Amino acid sequence: MTRLKAIAALIACLGFVAAGPAAAEVDAEKVYKFYCAQCHGLEGKGDGPNVYKDFPVSPRNFTNAAEMDKLSDADMRNVIRDGGPSVSKSPMMPPWGKTISDEEVDALVGHLRKLCACEGKKG
Amino acid sequence: MTRTIFTALLGALVLALVPGGARADAAAGEETFKGNGCMDCHYTDGPAKEKTIDDQLAKKGPELWYAGSKFQQEWLQAWLAKPEPIRPMAYNSLTEKNPADHPALSGDDVANVTEFLMGLTSDAVEAGKVKPKKNPKGRLIFTKKMPCSGCHQYESKKGLTGGLMGPTLVGAGTRLNPDWILAYLMQPEVFKPVKMMPVFVGILREKDMQNVAAYVANFK
Ligand code: HEC
Ligand code: HEC
Ligand code: HEC
Repeated sequence: MTRLKAIAALIACLGFVAAGPAAAEVDAEKVYKFYCAQCHGLEGKGDGPNVYKDFPVSPRNFTNAAEMDKLSDADMRNVIRDGGPSVSKSPMMPPWGKTISDEEVDALVGHLRKLCACEGKKG
Repeated sequence: MTRTIFTALLGALVLALVPGGARADAAAGEETFKGNGCMDCHYTDGPAKEKTIDDQLAKKGPELWYAGSKFQQEWLQAWLAKPEPIRPMAYNSLTEKNPADHPALSGDDVANVTEFLMGLTSDAVEAGKVKPKKNPKGRLIFTKKMPCSGCHQYESKKGLTGGLMGPTLVGAGTRLNPDWILAYLMQPEVFKPVKMMPVFVGILREKDMQNVAAYVANFK
């Protein structure tokens, strides 16, 4: 009985330790919906509510695997942090480096990979 | 006799209809604000309370604790009596249009609540830094170099244009305090620690922020 209790306590402890880092982990989908979906759309199709009829360039459609495969994870991190002009793209893609943390940027890259279901260029 | 009564009635009616007949009273305005459910959607005590995305999404309306630094009094008084949509989309929504159903005030409440809200100020706004003007440098930043127009409507030479998720900047020249626009760009952590607009500190220099603030403050 006491032994059982001890095991139960141990399991509870382990559960707690495991929950610690998980709670601090970035919720990539939430971050995406808040900052990115306004232009790239909730499903990543490039059709968010900001895209008015004479929007100068279409926000990247993240579900287009062929296009998204041309970008490495590092390319994505750069454009998210420093904006379109940093990779010779349109300034309508904003620089987010002063708004969201590096961990959030990394999580977003992972989320975009899910949306495109693609691996991307290596390196 | 009938005539005297009629005149008295007319006088009473005029008094009731014309706000500012009596002097505006901030304390009465605060009571009205608290008694009319305004607090359900707006908070009036700073500093900013939002720390996370969830905090911002839980809000039902914009914070008003620095209303007196943000708005121009005339605009505020007119808007409280006859609110028109400012954000093209419903608050915090990516899918619903602004339902244009904001509660309106009438009678003395209009001037009193205006007086109360104009008394809510922030020392983070420095006066006399921004003069509204055409400002070609500011225009270049707003329309070309930076994505401002991607999220904010404004009147361009070709007519109404711009994205829908930010508050419209049409009429910003009569709605917003020019110095507040600069303070908002320079100290986002004071006014809006968590928002869908990017932080431009470290991206735009102070001079550029001043130029773009002057340009926006000139919007009709
Ligand atoms: C104001 C609208 C807007 C917002 C908000 C926005 N983007 Fe973009 N984004 C664009 C536009 C427009 C392009 C296409 C630029 C081009 O093709 O010249 C783009 C392109 C991209 C690209 C592809 C870049 C390339 O090299 O092809 C990535 C990746 C990207 N955005 C990620 C994001 C992420 C992540 C967020 C949220 C943190 C975000 N964007 C928010 C407008 C926006
Ligand atoms: C059900 C929620 C709700 C209630 C109740 C409410 N408001 Fe609002 N208020 C909003 C929303 C949402 C907006 C944004 C409207 C827009 O952008 O068109 C707003 C905007 C405002 C603004 C302009 C703020 C800005 O930053 O643009 C003022 C001033 C204001 N309300 C005052 C009041 C007063 C005074 C009352 C009480 C009579 C009140 N509100 C009651 C939700 C509410
Ligand atoms: C990605 C979208 C986006 C971009 C890009 C953007 N904004 Fe905003 N802006 C917003 C949103 C959303 C708000 C409202 C924030 C809130 O109150 O939660 C806002 C608020 C503002 C306000 C305050 C308006 C009010 O009535 O409260 C001003 C002024 C402003 N932006 C100017 C600019 C300028 C100048 C630029 C370019 C340097 C810019 N914005 C770029 C989305 C954007």
